[in-house]
Amino acid sequence: MENFLQSLISGLLIGGIYGLTAVGLTLIFGVMKVINFAHGSLLMVGMFAAYWFVKLSGLNPYLALFVVVPLLFLFGYAMQHVVIRPVFKAEKDVREPITVIIVTTGIWYILDNLSLMAFGAEYRVVHTSVSGKIFDLGGIYFLQSKFYGFLIALATTLLLYWFLKHSKMGKAIRATSLDREAASLMGVNQYRIYNIAFGIGTACCGVAGCVLIPFYYVYPTVGTIFDIRAFIIVVLGGLGSIPGALLGGILIGITQSVGAQFMAATWTEEIIYVLFLLILFVKPAGLFGNRHDF
Amino acid sequence: MNLLARRSSKDKILTLAALATAFALPLVVTSPSYLQMLILLLFYAYLTSSWNLVGGFAGVLPLGHAAFVALGAYTSTLLYLQYGISPWLGMLVGGVVAALVGVIIGIPTLKMRGAYFALATIAFAEAIRVLIENTSQLGPFKVNGPRGLLINLKGNSFAAYQFTSKVSYYYIMLALLLAVLGVTALLMRSKLGYYLSAGGEDPEAAQALGVNVAKYKLLAMALSCFFTALAGTFYAQLMLYIAPQNICGLNLSFEIAFIALIGGRGTILGPVLGALLLRPLNELTRNYLGGLLPGMHLVIFGLILVLVMIYQPRGIQEPLTRLYRRLTGGGNGQDEDTLPKAKEAVKL
Repeated sequence: MENFLQSLISGLLIGGIYGLTAVGLTLIFGVMKVINFAHGSLLMVGMFAAYWFVKLSGLNPYLALFVVVPLLFLFGYAMQHVVIRPVFKAEKDVREPITVIIVTTGIWYILDNLSLMAFGAEYRVVHTSVSGKIFDLGGIYFLQSKFYGFLIALATTLLLYWFLKHSKMGKAIRATSLDREAASLMGVNQYRIYNIAFGIGTACCGVAGCVLIPFYYVYPTVGTIFDIRAFIIVVLGGLGSIPGALLGGILIGITQSVGAQFMAATWTEEIIYVLFLLILFVKPAGLFGNRHDF
Repeated sequence: MNLLARRSSKDKILTLAALATAFALPLVVTSPSYLQMLILLLFYAYLTSSWNLVGGFAGVLPLGHAAFVALGAYTSTLLYLQYGISPWLGMLVGGVVAALVGVIIGIPTLKMRGAYFALATIAFAEAIRVLIENTSQLGPFKVNGPRGLLINLKGNSFAAYQFTSKVSYYYIMLALLLAVLGVTALLMRSKLGYYLSAGGEDPEAAQALGVNVAKYKLLAMALSCFFTALAGTFYAQLMLYIAPQNICGLNLSFEIAFIALIGGRGTILGPVLGALLLRPLNELTRNYLGGLLPGMHLVIFGLILVLVMIYQPRGIQEPLTRLYRRLTGGGNGQDEDTLPKAKEAVKL
């Protein structure tokens, strides 16, 4: 029973962080109707940025947030503006913007291999002031870094939700996601909104990257696992729904963690894929998604 | 329909010349390592052309085709290692298995958005890979998980699908490539081809006209998976070793899709042109830069893909075809796919 509770809590904590990555992805989809296949690679970039920041400055990884998050926002903004926008514009009226998907897959490929070239394939770990420290809650142990990561992920998601609901830019983003032509008529520059949305989505990866490095290995292909997990989570939660993404993340985190109690860790990966295929076949709209979005 | 009737004589001569070169090449190239490169070139050209049957003509983006390569390879290898069944037969069985699996996966996913289908194929390919990696024994079959399967060397034996000389492998692959190109050509000019292209452009309109788009997409999927699996068996017999990481990896799936996309999906020659350009490039960059900069050839690959998608989304076959038409006198400026009746109507 204790083991079960422990794995439950551990799953909840890491699930929140998965959820944060998924929130970025779902935001990009909600606004641009494009699934960003490069999302995992952007997370990898965030992780490496945080890694180097901590390694070179020796500072607390949570301070890295102030550097990595704006950096990644700009990176995402630039990527959307330079690489994706020309293709997006060309496919504006096409029913299925497949070329954009292809371009983001290409970016996935490029980023992963550039990172491999630049940093080598080894698994890196950075020693921070929070690495390895544990909280003891009446016999139930969990990593401090995971807990802080969960709190930060939760806070970021709530902040993002508030931003979208109440700020002027947030309303512009929501308007564009509902009807881009109408929003355009209301004076919203839709391409600027796409850039910003992409930037915010990438910034979420930056936050996730910073909170992951105290307890997660950093290596060039780490993005792939998170990428696929993020896809599964956004489909589970419903494409375009931020609460859905967070909830979905937590569900996946718990499934993985509790599952590992009953079977070898390598099989838990399989469960996630099977779960994904099941969701696609049974209820593709997910928990909170729009049935017409696919 | 007479496939050759609509082509000009220049096209026919060029096709014959290309075929003759392909058949005569092993007479000139005798070094086994160069032959191996050529075989792999044909292998990738074949894989992307098989991919093209569903990725090009059904208008969807399958990004997990390596799963079907693996299904083919593992089916024939397991049947051979366990029961001594000839890999030729195992190859056909593998093809059927792959086609069935492809249809099962396709039934719910082909009617979804392109992105969902792409995701489903990725998830499916990874699910198969992880399944193979985690399975040591499946019923009577020893799957051996991540350690992979070794096929014992039998020397030169047609029945065991093994040859000491690489030349035999070359001709087998060439024959397979010509077969799949032939099927593609037949498909393009058949009713099925037109139905698929209508379904790709505007599925609702097609359905309103009574075209069962779903059925034809599934048929294309079945064909594509069947042919892809045949290549799996070929690879197993060529390398005599298969493991889930290299035969079912996302890298292979992506490479197949990317080559077809860069070359030009939805056309007969696009994927082949893509392979002709990219495979040598791959080998060259890997040989010259691989030591200093590992992974550089893949970065270049990705860059080419992104650039081609931005500037020539229909693939490099489009500017190349236009160049060819201009060089051969520009007389027959039309695409050979346009109906001949239109030309006659104008003559009135």
